Amino acid sequence: MEGYIVSLIIFTAIFALFGLGLNLQWGFTGLINFGHVAFMAVGGYVTVLLSDLDVPLPLLIWLPLCVLIGSIFAALLGLLIGLSTVRLREDYLAIVTIGVSEMVRLVALNEEWLTRGAFGVQGFPLPLQGFAPTLLTRIGMLAIFTGVVALGYWQLWKWLRQRLKGISRQAIIRSSLAVSGYLGSLGLLLYGTVIGARQLKLAEGIPAWLVGLTLLGALVAIISLYTWLARQTIPRLPDWSAGLSLVSCLLSLVTGLWIYQFAAHAIYTYSRTSIKTGLMFISVLVVALIFWGLQKLVRSPWGRVLKAIREDEEVAKALGKNVFWYKLQALMLGGLVAGVAGALYAWQLTTVYPDNFQPLVTFNAWTIVVLGGAGNNVGTLLGAAIFWAYQTMTRFILADIVPLDDARLGAFRVMIIGLLLMVLMVLRPQGILGKKEELTLGR
Amino acid sequence: MADNSHSLLSAKNLYKSFGGIKAVDNASIEVPKGSITGLIGPNGAGKTTLFNLLSNFIRPDSGEIVFDGEPIQQLQPHQIAQQGMVRTFQVARVLSRLSVMENMLLATQQQSGENFWNVWFHPGRVLKEERSQRERASEILESVGLSHMAQEYAGALSGGQRKLLEIARALMVQPKLILLDEPAAGVNPTLINKICEHIVQWNREGLSFLVIEHNMDVIMSLCDRVWVLAEGRNLASGTPTEVQKNTQVLEAYLGQ
Ligand SMILES: Nc1ncnc2c1ncn2[C@@H]1O[C@H](COP(=O)(O)OP(=O)(O)OP(=O)(O)O)[C@@H](O)[C@H]1O
Ligand SMILES: [Mg+2]
Repeated sequence: MEGYIVSLIIFTAIFALFGLGLNLQWGFTGLINFGHVAFMAVGGYVTVLLSDLDVPLPLLIWLPLCVLIGSIFAALLGLLIGLSTVRLREDYLAIVTIGVSEMVRLVALNEEWLTRGAFGVQGFPLPLQGFAPTLLTRIGMLAIFTGVVALGYWQLWKWLRQRLKGISRQAIIRSSLAVSGYLGSLGLLLYGTVIGARQLKLAEGIPAWLVGLTLLGALVAIISLYTWLARQTIPRLPDWSAGLSLVSCLLSLVTGLWIYQFAAHAIYTYSRTSIKTGLMFISVLVVALIFWGLQKLVRSPWGRVLKAIREDEEVAKALGKNVFWYKLQALMLGGLVAGVAGALYAWQLTTVYPDNFQPLVTFNAWTIVVLGGAGNNVGTLLGAAIFWAYQTMTRFILADIVPLDDARLGAFRVMIIGLLLMVLMVLRPQGILGKKEELTLGR
Repeated sequence: MADNSHSLLSAKNLYKSFGGIKAVDNASIEVPKGSITGLIGPNGAGKTTLFNLLSNFIRPDSGEIVFDGEPIQQLQPHQIAQQGMVRTFQVARVLSRLSVMENMLLATQQQSGENFWNVWFHPGRVLKEERSQRERASEILESVGLSHMAQEYAGALSGGQRKLLEIARALMVQPKLILLDEPAAGVNPTLINKICEHIVQWNREGLSFLVIEHNMDVIMSLCDRVWVLAEGRNLASGTPTEVQKNTQVLEAYLGQ
């Protein structure tokens, strides 16, 4: 279990970073980048290939340097894409980015002298390899890790207090009770469906299509019932969103602490062999740092120019902003962040194949950003967490209840993501943390 | 040239054709320093296109533009704004998902916070600038009657309010010359008078204006000098009263 949680945290952190890069480009600047994985590929490959060289430097210095160089290469790729397309209309950018990402992957596949092609790069040095901290160091690491988590919770608390301001205690209690009843019963029902489906699948003599159909029918029935219920209750519960905020904060507090306990234990028992724990520690710190830096940026005058470009670049030009240069900056900085994600990704995979950088990975980044709400960095973090929670849970649960073989199951999981995104677009097109008012604004 | 000393903007022999249409056909215009100059003409005369040429949003086929003693044809639109000439749009364009205040603050020139290095490493300076700009923006918003909307999304403004925001935003740039494309279109009469008063006041403080307007009352009350454009060509120029008596001008308008 601990191993799963640690790798879940690593993947979430990597894709949070990856999504943050896309969010800067698309969510804030409006640049449509359908080839985001290219930045990750360049960052990852350059980092591991460099780190394999014989350099008279201790790894502790050389590896971060490799990541830096790798992500600078990713930023240069952004510069290149920008120089060739940003002056064109924005749909060209979308097309060119798709092309570039496939090109990067094909170069990695075919230039075997450099990337070892389909064999993949392996055996490159990993961070904190053979690192055996003393008890004191471990406690120090734990303290830092805990500090980051506490900072996160503090932000959550501030947000919640903001949301609940001016609402009477009674209304809050009433709506949170209603919301928890709603969510709790929904959870129980879904859980029951999963158990039932598992039994059905195990039972002999029932054809697969019947199992699938029953499952589908049950899900449709539950969803319809709960949509209807929501329609009925929401008008009668004016402060329902405050209740929802409170309940979801409590939920994330509990799940967060539950996950934290595994991570903390892993750090506390850190030994020479627990390479993943080290990577987790690094990834979390890197995400926290970059998130903080980006938050500063998007709330600054610099970020305001990016948002202005997203809204109407002619206006930005008329007000004396060098639109071209800011677009380049967004592409490069977003690429840089994705490049760092690529280095972490390579370390997590320990073997880097060109196939790790399929267009599907770009799609995942888009899912994460859209899910959380475009132009909202907190939303991107949340989106990454939800995305990987989904990935992990479905890996365990779906195989038990869906009558499909493994290969089809993989496709099925992606299909469900598509379906969920469609539902999201209908019910909440602005994403989970997006602002609804923004949808109805006249241009 | 001798007249450079008092002319702020002077454009000579501008041409621009879109396919077969000669939108601007050998047009010239001059804006003296410290003046409010009018630009009128029937619909489709090429006034907006002329604005686009002056601000280099569209490159002229030929002709020369001198602003504040320097030729500006080779500059990018944003560089022209930085030189102190700001244009507004006929159909007001606001940044919908930014607040009215953010629309205003964006227009400030030479903000150190527009450089990401300063955001990270000189946050104090950035903050201080923001604070003083915010005060200035509030004053301007107050004067156009938008201060109660400062924290709303600009996309939530009505058509007339958007026009006001555009003018206010152009003012935030602290330019030497503002090109106004039909500032009174869609604005209610009392407000038009108020805007005119403000324009006159800003003009007294040293700001020059070039104003496209179909509302002749506005032109009469504001302008020192008026240029008339028809089918992309200069038809006449002179004081508002001279232009209004000009038979060619009357024909151009009535002939429509
Ligand atoms: N981008 C363009 N492409 C093709 N033709 C254009 C373009 N812009 C303007 N035109 C044409 O140029 C001519 C002048 O248009 P312009 O918008 O400058 O007129 P205007 O004097 O501003 O009119 P109005 O008073 O109605 O705003 C029109 O015939 C118009 O159709
Ligand atoms: Mg016009």
